[in-house]
Amino acid sequence: MYRYDEFDHAFVAARVEQFKDQVQRRLSGELTEDQFKPLRLMNGVYLQLHAYMLRVAVPYGTLSAKQMRKLGSIARVYDRGYGHFTTRQNIQYNWPALGDIPKILDELAEVEMHAMQTSGNCIRNVTADHFAGAAADEVADPRPFAEILRQWSSLHPEFSFLPRKFKIAVTGAEHDRAAIQTHDIGLHLKKNAAGELGFGVYIGGGQGRTPMVAKNIRDFLPAEDLLSYTTAIVRVYNLHGRRDNKYKARIKILVHETGTEELTRQIEAEWRALKESDLKLPQGDINAIDTYFRPPVLPERPEGWGTLAVAKRADAGFAAWVDQNVTPHRHPDYGVVTISLKPIGGIPGDASAEQMELVADIAEKFSQDEIRVSHEQNLVLPHVALADLRTVYDLLLTDGLATANAGLITDIIACPGLDYCALANARSIPVAQRISERFGAPARQSEIGDLKIKISGCINACGHHHVGHIGILGVEKKGEELYQITLGGSADEITTVGEITGRGFSSEEVVDAIEKIVDTYLGLRTGRQENFLAAYRRVGAAPFKEALYGPVSRAA
Amino acid sequence: MSETTEQNEKQLWGREGFRNDPYIEAESLDAAGDAPAVILPLAAWLGLDDDIRRTSNRRIGVMVAPGEDIEPLLDKLDTIPLIALQFPAFNDGRSYSKAELLKGRHGFSGELRAVGDVLIDQVVFMLRAGFDTLQVSNPIALERLNASDLHDTPGYYQPGRGSAQTAGGYSWRRTPAG
Repeated sequence: MYRYDEFDHAFVAARVEQFKDQVQRRLSGELTEDQFKPLRLMNGVYLQLHAYMLRVAVPYGTLSAKQMRKLGSIARVYDRGYGHFTTRQNIQYNWPALGDIPKILDELAEVEMHAMQTSGNCIRNVTADHFAGAAADEVADPRPFAEILRQWSSLHPEFSFLPRKFKIAVTGAEHDRAAIQTHDIGLHLKKNAAGELGFGVYIGGGQGRTPMVAKNIRDFLPAEDLLSYTTAIVRVYNLHGRRDNKYKARIKILVHETGTEELTRQIEAEWRALKESDLKLPQGDINAIDTYFRPPVLPERPEGWGTLAVAKRADAGFAAWVDQNVTPHRHPDYGVVTISLKPIGGIPGDASAEQMELVADIAEKFSQDEIRVSHEQNLVLPHVALADLRTVYDLLLTDGLATANAGLITDIIACPGLDYCALANARSIPVAQRISERFGAPARQSEIGDLKIKISGCINACGHHHVGHIGILGVEKKGEELYQITLGGSADEITTVGEITGRGFSSEEVVDAIEKIVDTYLGLRTGRQENFLAAYRRVGAAPFKEALYGPVSRAA
Repeated sequence: MSETTEQNEKQLWGREGFRNDPYIEAESLDAAGDAPAVILPLAAWLGLDDDIRRTSNRRIGVMVAPGEDIEPLLDKLDTIPLIALQFPAFNDGRSYSKAELLKGRHGFSGELRAVGDVLIDQVVFMLRAGFDTLQVSNPIALERLNASDLHDTPGYYQPGRGSAQTAGGYSWRRTPAG
């Protein structure tokens, strides 16, 4: 993985010093909250319902054991013993004291981490496929390019005050695990016929109150043009994106209002003027960054094939976990392990200090010192030998980290909702917890199969409800929390925005409504191999609406 | 009355420090009296006869609001002594891109000035985007600039004005020049 050089260390240290000074001036009263706000936002510090919240960047979701241990220690020392992993592969601390935040940033800098650009109208933490560098279906590792983008976008003088926040995601596989078509810029790393690396470029995806699937504006952008082309896109957006209404300020609205063709023309014209500039990436630099991400040398461990089969036969719980939470690695003797942060009835994405430390220990011994944070709010051990799976499972079991539900109905994404967030209209976490409990029996979950439920507590859609196979949106109506259901959303290589079923449900009704939808699916699927999304795409919304609202005439 | 007070509080700053500002802002040349250096709004500036702009013995600069296009200025850049780009609020970043285009792409060699909500934390961004001077009235910004405390970083991750490529470093990295 990437390691800071002197340049990076000095840069981060200087920023921490500046923020220390700013916090000091806020605490002394020299700065008012209004004056302090833009400064704290540059450093990932939000003011939430109850306290300041610190969001720490985990670039493209990659962590070492040492970094994870530090995140755990910060949770213990400066927070209430836990942290919350987010849908943008970051971690949030919900209860730090403002006076402690400079110390936290100091400690993060020790392990080459920071909180820059995790908030504000700038280019945010660049995300990537959480299985990058390990997945069997990958063409090339997207992280070297995510790292180049991370560096280039750090305190960018031209792009620190965009109309709105700006999110970039990169994937290196045909099967898109990074949800690139829901981002402001989505990059699909691929090879052309000559075997050269380049990107399919998508712009204008997004969620919020106006969900849009990104438009493909370029099939193959040579890798050397990554920064010039990105600059062209962001410059056109910076100059012409709307600033009169924050809900219309994302690039998706500019794409929509200008038209994809015309906006692409403007971007291409800007790019032609930039193409041969200092932004052109020398192959030597790409190679140098690439070196940091060279795949670890994995010893042959063929004994795992046999021992795994025996261990699975001996323990149904272990077998279910392997089947659900382990995905193929490019090395046949290894697997990619998803550590579910969705225990039945738990809070999606939360991890205690002890759990973080346990994961760090396991990663050090059994996963080449590497951990990933997924945008689905789980953790990933990217390089585990099949022969070690049983040991890893037993260790995870000791602290409630072996829930065998990756990709299943209880693997729910939820935003913090009204329990924490100042923007929310409704609670998300309790709904997630109740759904999890309703469907938590292993046999039932497994029978239902792959099903992504995503819950947002307000229209800003941080819980990605638009792209949930089943999406739940909390709204506030006449002082009551109401939950609207959408069906058929998806954020992979075939990205779709879910359709609203009809009137919303009260907090008491919503879990029953989800159960009706699930039962309807089970009744109409052609077989276990037809998962919820496939079935929905085949039959459409009608049978589900009827199950929810009765005969079609009423639903229409 | 209050307007005059406010005017007095604005100070002009550039990389070399604070300096006198010979320009006054006016709605039209007529309104500017006999001031030797004037900044006109874009529409008024574009409304001037080309001859007047070329032959006038006063310097006539132009003020551009974030929503205004710099396109009509591009073929006249060599006749413009000063372009002032507005920041009505610190978080309206359009003028950064215009600065980059004027200085970087189109080689504008006159004075490029940032006016409006200029805060200390944006000073380095402005200089790097190509601004030569900043009109500052924020007390904290004035105090820090007086102390030459620019809140700079020891290095940058992008090309930009006032910086140099580091020997053997990545192509996108720079360090402060001089």
